[in-house]
Amino acid sequence: MSFLKELAKRRWLFIGLLVGAALLSGPVPEGLTPTGMRALTLVIVVFIFFITEPIPLPGVALFIAIGQVLLGLERPTAVAQSFMSDSVFFIMGSLMIATALVKQNLDKRIALAIVKMTGPSVHRIVFALVAFSALLASFIGEHTVAAMMLPVGAALINYTNRDWRKIRNLSTLILLSIAYGAMVAGAGTPSGGARNAIMLAYWKKLFEVNMTYFEWIKFAYPMLLIEVPVIGFILYRTFSPETKDLSPAVAALKEKVAESGPISSKEWLAIVIFLFTVLMWMTISDTIGLGITALIGILLFLVAGVVKWEDLNNNVNWGTILIYGGAISLGIMMKRTGVAEWLSHAFLEWVAPFGIHKGIPLLIAISFMTILMASFMSSGATVGVLGPITLNIASLSGTSVIVAGFITVISSSFCFLTTIASPACNIMYGSGYLSKGIGSLRDGNWSLFRLY
Amino acid sequence: MKILMCTDGEEYAESAIRFGGRLAKEMSADISVLHVRPPISPRNRVQLTTARKKLGEWNLEIPGVDYLIRAKEILADIGLTKTSPIMEEKLSQAFRIGIHGATELHLIGLKGELVRLRLREGHPVDEILEETDLGDYDLVIVGSRGHKGFSTHFVGSTALRVADLAVCSVLIAKNIKEDDDFLLCTDGSRLSEKAEITGAEMAQKLGAKMTILSIAEEKSKEDEAAKLARRAEMILAQMGIKAKQKVRVGRPSEEIIDEARDHDIVVMGSSGSSAVKKFFLGSTPLKVIEYGECPVLIVREKRGKISLQETSLS
Repeated sequence: MSFLKELAKRRWLFIGLLVGAALLSGPVPEGLTPTGMRALTLVIVVFIFFITEPIPLPGVALFIAIGQVLLGLERPTAVAQSFMSDSVFFIMGSLMIATALVKQNLDKRIALAIVKMTGPSVHRIVFALVAFSALLASFIGEHTVAAMMLPVGAALINYTNRDWRKIRNLSTLILLSIAYGAMVAGAGTPSGGARNAIMLAYWKKLFEVNMTYFEWIKFAYPMLLIEVPVIGFILYRTFSPETKDLSPAVAALKEKVAESGPISSKEWLAIVIFLFTVLMWMTISDTIGLGITALIGILLFLVAGVVKWEDLNNNVNWGTILIYGGAISLGIMMKRTGVAEWLSHAFLEWVAPFGIHKGIPLLIAISFMTILMASFMSSGATVGVLGPITLNIASLSGTSVIVAGFITVISSSFCFLTTIASPACNIMYGSGYLSKGIGSLRDGNWSLFRLY
Repeated sequence: MKILMCTDGEEYAESAIRFGGRLAKEMSADISVLHVRPPISPRNRVQLTTARKKLGEWNLEIPGVDYLIRAKEILADIGLTKTSPIMEEKLSQAFRIGIHGATELHLIGLKGELVRLRLREGHPVDEILEETDLGDYDLVIVGSRGHKGFSTHFVGSTALRVADLAVCSVLIAKNIKEDDDFLLCTDGSRLSEKAEITGAEMAQKLGAKMTILSIAEEKSKEDEAAKLARRAEMILAQMGIKAKQKVRVGRPSEEIIDEARDHDIVVMGSSGSSAVKKFFLGSTPLKVIEYGECPVLIVREKRGKISLQETSLS
C-alpha cells in the first residue's frame, strides 16, 4: 500500500520517462537531425520534471548530465565543462558572498538607518523598505535580502502591536514592500540573481555577445529607479495601514539596536570587502571573469576571518548551484544540437500569421511566454530552458539579442501570480505574518498590469 | 483522558481553546495545543532558517509560536495553569525541538494536568491526524470559522476532513459560545449509545442541561423513535443523569441542524456508513458539521482499542 503511494507520488517521473520513450521511438520531424530529436526529447522530459518536480530539482540537474551522456549527445568531459563554467562560479560566489553578509548583524544597522532616515510616518518607511530591499537585492539576490529584511519588518510589526491580527494591513504592507522591492530588483545587476548569470553565459557562449557588469547596470538600473516609487505607491494604496504613525515602534527599534553597540570592526571589514568586490565586478571583471572576481571576494572574506567556512557550508544552497549548472548545460546543448533553432523556427512560423514575428510585438510575446512559464517553475529554470529559444527567436527575426535577453530575464521575475514561483514572497509567507489568501492572487494581477 | 486542540491563530480557534481548557479543567484531562505551520519549500529552507535565527536575535518569537503563547494565556486565564512572572521570562525562548520534528513546550496544570504546546510543520490535516495517532488522544477539538459567506466551503475543509478521518472523537467548535445546553442525538445504534454516554458525562461535568433527540424519517416511524429516546433516557437515568426527550420527523441532518439552533453543543455518534455509502449519500454527522451553525461533537470508538480494557483501566 505504502509502496503504491510512493509510486503515485512519483507518477510524473514515469509519465515524463514514458513521454521521452514515445518521442524517441516516434518519427523525426522535418528539419531536425536524429541527434536533434534525442536532444529535443531530453529537453521535453526535463521540462516536465522542472514543472512537476517528481524528484528534487538538483536531482533533475543530475538527470540532465546523465541524459546528455546516455543519449550520446555529449562526451562526459564536455558535459562536466558546461556544468561548471565561469557563470556557475559567479552564481556560487554570489551566493557565498550573500551568506557572508547575512552572517553579520547588518539587519539591525539597516533597520536603524531606515528609521533614522524616514522618521515614524508609515508611507516613508514603506518607501524606504522598498528602496533598501531593491538596492540590496540588486547586488546580493532576492532570497538573501528577504531573509535579511524579514526580521526588520517583523520587528516593526511586533513593536507596533503584539497582536498582528489587529494590524493585518500594516503587516502585509510592510512585508510585501520588502518582498516586492527585492523581487523587482533581481535584474538590477548580474549578481542580483542566478538567472542573470545564465543569460550572460548564453549571450557569450551562444551569440558571442560580451556584456560587462557595468553595462548591465546601465541597462537595467533606470528601469529599477522608475519601479521602486511605483511599487511603494501601489502597495500603500492597496493595503491602507491601520495606523499612520509608527513612533512607538521606531523608538522601540532604536532602543533594541542600541543594545548591540556600535558597528564592530568585523562588520566594517565585511562591508569594505563587499564594496571592493562590487568595484572589481564593475572594473576588471570583463578581463578576469565575473566568477573569478566573486571567488576573490570570498577568499578575502575567509582570509579576514569575517566568515567561517562552516557557516558558508551550512548556509549556501549548494543544490541551487547544481540546478543552474544543469540549466546552462542544457541550454548550450540545445544550441549545439540545433534544437533551439528548430524550436525558434517553429515558434516564428506559428506566430507569423498573427503579425507578431518581429519587433515590439515579438518582445511582448516573449515576455508573456516567460511570465507564463515562470509561474510554473523557478525563474532560474525558466531562463535556463527558455533563454536559448528566445535568443534564437530574436536573432532569427532580426531583433536585438540583448533586448530579447533582458526581456526574458526581467519577465521571469514578474511571476507573482503564484506564490510558489517567487522565493521572496515564499519566505514572507513562511514567516506566518502574512494572512492567508491575501498577497498572492490579488497582487499578482496588478503587478502584471504594471508591467505594461 | 487526553485532549488535543488545534489553533490557527484566529479568533474562532481561541474560543475553541477556551472551551477545551474549561472541559479539561473539569475532567482533569491532559491537553495539547497544536499549531501547524505551513510547509516551507526546500528551495527556501536555508534562507528561512536564517531569517528565523535572526528573529531570535531580535528577541522575536519564531512564527507560529505566538499563537501558542496566546493559547497559553487563555489557559492561564481560565485557571487551568498558573502563571508566574519568572516563568514568563523563561517561556519566551523555551520552545525546544521535541520528538517527531515538532517544537514543544510542557506546562503543568494546577491539578497536575499535563499541558503541552506543540508546533508542527506541514499540511494541517495530515499533521493533525498524525499527532492524533501518535499522541493517543481521546478527543480532538478543531475550531471552525462558521458560516460567513462563500469562503466557508474552502476554509472549513480542514475541520471537515479531520472530523472525517480522525481515529478518535472530534469536536468541531463552530461558533462556540456557551456550553450549558447539550443536544444528544440517538438512532438506537451501539455507537450512538456510546455517544450519549460520553456526551452526558461531559455535560454533567460542565453542569449543562441535556436534551435527547430522536428522529423519525417518516411519520409512521414516530413511535419507534420515541421508544429509542426513552431507552436513551433510561440509560442516562441509570447513570444518575436527568435529560429531556424530544422527537422530530424529517430528514435527520436537517432536523438536527434545525433543533440545534436552540442548543449549544450537538453530540452524535460517528456514522457507521461504509466509505461507499458515505461517498454517495454523505454521512449525517458530516452534513451537520458542514451546514449547521452549532458546535458538533462526533463520538468515535478508538480503533484498535477494546472497550473492555478501557473500562478496566479507569
